[in-house]
Amino acid sequence: MQYDYVTCPHCGLLCDDLSVDVHDLSVQLKTTNHPVCKQAYDDASMDRNALPSPLVNGNPTSLQESLVTAANLLKKSRQPLISGMITDVQACRNAIALTEMVGGVIDHANGSRMRISSAIMQRMGEIKTTLSEVRNRADCIVIFGANVLNKFPRLYDRILSPAQSLGSGKTKKKKIIILDLAKDVTSLHTNDNDVSHMYLDVPSLDSLVHKLVYVFNKPVNTFVEIDETTQALLDLHQSILKSQYTTFIWSVAEFKLETAEHTIQAITQCIKKLMTNIRCVALPLGGSKAEITASQVSTWQTGVPLPVAFMSGAPVHDPNLFDGMKMLENNEADTLVWIATYSSKDTPPKADIPTIVIGHPNMHCESSTNVFIPTGIPGIDHRGLACRTDGIATLPLKSIRNSELTAACEVINQLSKLI
Amino acid sequence: MVIKLTGGQIYDPTHNIDGQVKDLYIVDDKISQTVPNNKKIDLEYDINDYIVMAGAIDMHTHIGGGKVNIARTMMLEDQLAHPDYGSNSLRAGNGHIVPSTFSTGYRYAEMGYTACFEPAVLPVNARQAHMEMADIPMIDKGGYVLLGNDDYLLQMINKGASQSAINDYVAWLLDAAQCLGVKVVNAGGIHAFKFNQRRLDTDEIGPSGITPRQIISTLSQAVYDLGIPHPLHVHASNLGIPGNFESTLATMSAADGLPIHLTHIQFHSYGTEGDHKFSSAACQIAEAINNQPNVTADVGQIMFGQTITASADTMMQYFGHSHGYPKKWTIMDIECEAGCGVVPFKYRDQSFVNALQWAIGLEIFLQVNDPWRVFLTTDHPNGAPFTSYPHLIKLLMDRSFRNDIFCNIHPDAQKLSNLASMQREYSLYEIAIMTRAAPAKILGLKDHGHLGDSAKANITIYRKQDNIEQMFTRPYMVFKNGVLIVKDGNVVETVQGITHVVKPDFDRAIEKPLNKYFEDYQTIAFSNFKITADEMTDCIGSEIQVHPCKLN
Repeated sequence: MQYDYVTCPHCGLLCDDLSVDVHDLSVQLKTTNHPVCKQAYDDASMDRNALPSPLVNGNPTSLQESLVTAANLLKKSRQPLISGMITDVQACRNAIALTEMVGGVIDHANGSRMRISSAIMQRMGEIKTTLSEVRNRADCIVIFGANVLNKFPRLYDRILSPAQSLGSGKTKKKKIIILDLAKDVTSLHTNDNDVSHMYLDVPSLDSLVHKLVYVFNKPVNTFVEIDETTQALLDLHQSILKSQYTTFIWSVAEFKLETAEHTIQAITQCIKKLMTNIRCVALPLGGSKAEITASQVSTWQTGVPLPVAFMSGAPVHDPNLFDGMKMLENNEADTLVWIATYSSKDTPPKADIPTIVIGHPNMHCESSTNVFIPTGIPGIDHRGLACRTDGIATLPLKSIRNSELTAACEVINQLSKLI
Repeated sequence: MVIKLTGGQIYDPTHNIDGQVKDLYIVDDKISQTVPNNKKIDLEYDINDYIVMAGAIDMHTHIGGGKVNIARTMMLEDQLAHPDYGSNSLRAGNGHIVPSTFSTGYRYAEMGYTACFEPAVLPVNARQAHMEMADIPMIDKGGYVLLGNDDYLLQMINKGASQSAINDYVAWLLDAAQCLGVKVVNAGGIHAFKFNQRRLDTDEIGPSGITPRQIISTLSQAVYDLGIPHPLHVHASNLGIPGNFESTLATMSAADGLPIHLTHIQFHSYGTEGDHKFSSAACQIAEAINNQPNVTADVGQIMFGQTITASADTMMQYFGHSHGYPKKWTIMDIECEAGCGVVPFKYRDQSFVNALQWAIGLEIFLQVNDPWRVFLTTDHPNGAPFTSYPHLIKLLMDRSFRNDIFCNIHPDAQKLSNLASMQREYSLYEIAIMTRAAPAKILGLKDHGHLGDSAKANITIYRKQDNIEQMFTRPYMVFKNGVLIVKDGNVVETVQGITHVVKPDFDRAIEKPLNKYFEDYQTIAFSNFKITADEMTDCIGSEIQVHPCKLN
């Protein structure tokens, strides 16, 4: 049977125009041939004769038995860490309730990257836009790093090169400038006529942003010497000043973790300054591991973004003390609950502590995993909700297959009742 | 279950009851004046010398949607400074200015509120707004869907679409976004800002080719035609600009005599007189409200202290960001529908502008004669957090208290305000009107806001005391749908409210062009854009109650 207008939660764009063929427990994406999108759906197929079973210490058992074992581990734990959080709104809600109940810490698998956006918002605020606004309003697009187009496979077709646009011809046929390092010249759209590439001989994408900001902010008459790179950036600046609606696009994952916050702060300040006279905005892309969903739910339910610690009773947000991955590295957690329901590859990090995995049904965990509870996949086995990269649109995830696997939110709810 | 409330002093303006001593019964989840024949009293509370009102209703409070999360993130220091420790029955949370969802529900209930309404639900963000509100316990919720800057409507008006086609679109959107009313924010202005236009006056043609007046006029007609109980809820043009009272008056007139609600009108009641070229136009605004029975308003009172402003009005939020504190601000264009701007503000009594804003809000409260047409709000959190309502009530009820504060605000603001000369003190009956009976009436919630037979048993009981602020801060008891949820100002039982919506009839033919519009221009599929009733219950987590519309 074919299902249309299926929402894909496998990247932050949450494309919801997909057609998916479902035959018993086999699912196949029909709409796009992009390997990243296709693989995500291939990953969901299962054989009804070999349905995954809950495992305790590697041995198949019942759901109830696995929940009791998991509950006992959590009851004994003095510092549980709930992580992964690659899942839908409903599972996030219940995971926060579980963390509060056991006085633990909750963080996302990519928490250290998520912190960067939160920090910028907290410190100075942002100027942002959403996908439809870019599709219809933007006439000039500046992309930091060609790899953004690989990581968000349908960004170009759906948003940057739309068949229709509400605006003028310039918003339909946008001026797209991809900035990248001289040594990294590959991208999906290198030969596309609509797209121009600008390669800068700088050591990193972070350096590239800082170079752009430096050139944009410096009065032209104060340059002692204008080299080729500077001239190209000056030209870009002029082009932006003449455009009606420029959108700067980046993905935080493309910047170096150590410097990304500084980099995004610099470009945000630059956009705010440009806004004095013209319209320009940012479209930071992310959320391909449901980071936006986890962050939004945490922020409304606890008042603060991830990570959140509940040891004191009230939610505490301290990214230095409660970075989930660092806690594991430093042996600061004594039990790990790992929640990841979208991909079989989102396995937990190696940790020498009792581990409970509430995960994708095709996931294969390390033999040391104490409890593995396979769940339904939101958007395939049951309904769910997911937040898009722009943090504004929330989309419904459909139930398109009858696998009888329990939803992660229900598994977490049952686990909480046993504690 | 039958509960008898014995000997309370009842304030029920819907039934003209002004402080009479009377017994009241709760029969299951409803109010009754008598014990049904086949039932006996299970529980009696002697509330002799206590004051009884219906549960309070906040008709304009920003409690759900993306802008609230942005505000929470930007006010992280405030969140962490106000921890809310959980317990076996209460969830933990954070925040004073923009509390987390659970804390929001507890704080409202502790003050005797049983229903609150989010006034700016962007259609594309409606799912999230409802999800957030579903995680606010204790109270009923609802939202007003945001229109008036969406390209689809602006194009319809510009191309001369018929009023009936526009009505169909409005009704479709209310259905799709599961909302109770229609809101317009800076009509056409948010759209114009996307084209780098920084101001748009009421009769100025914007980039859409039409004027804000046309938008207000068309939408107020649509709301009237569809029989939506709540009038068009309007955030007027030029928020915060000296001299903006003129565009506020123009906005009122744009409704052509049809019902119109002007929201946070304090921010739209400024003149240009005096040395600072900033003055109070509260008198002109109050007079206009008094003379036009089709006009209602909520005040959006500011209070001195730190808060954060969150609005869809990107144009005016950008304009005002240089006055913000701390110096950080967020502006966001949203999905060819609207936008959002989030700017922290610290209102200071020694700032001339802030002091006068404070006085202007109170001047409006005191000069609008009819308490059924002026509503008690701080436009939470924009003027102040909602937890300041008891203080605001005291300002309205206690002239000497009000004047003591007035004497200490910026001296230039004192010179430009006639607040000190105003004798009026609101009565308990009038407070009950503006916080219960009138909001229920204007929202079309027939079984809320009063204590008559068959009303939902949402009841707040106050211990009578001289300190009015204290009295309204910590009610003695609060019942929600017949369940005792608050005792002595503390939550004793958690309950889950519902979502109030309207579903006016419309011609489904509108879905054909809309579907094409979504296919051609939007990034969400038409079918996924709509929120269904079962999605509200099964996924989002809140049941809906549909209130009737009366076709005009």
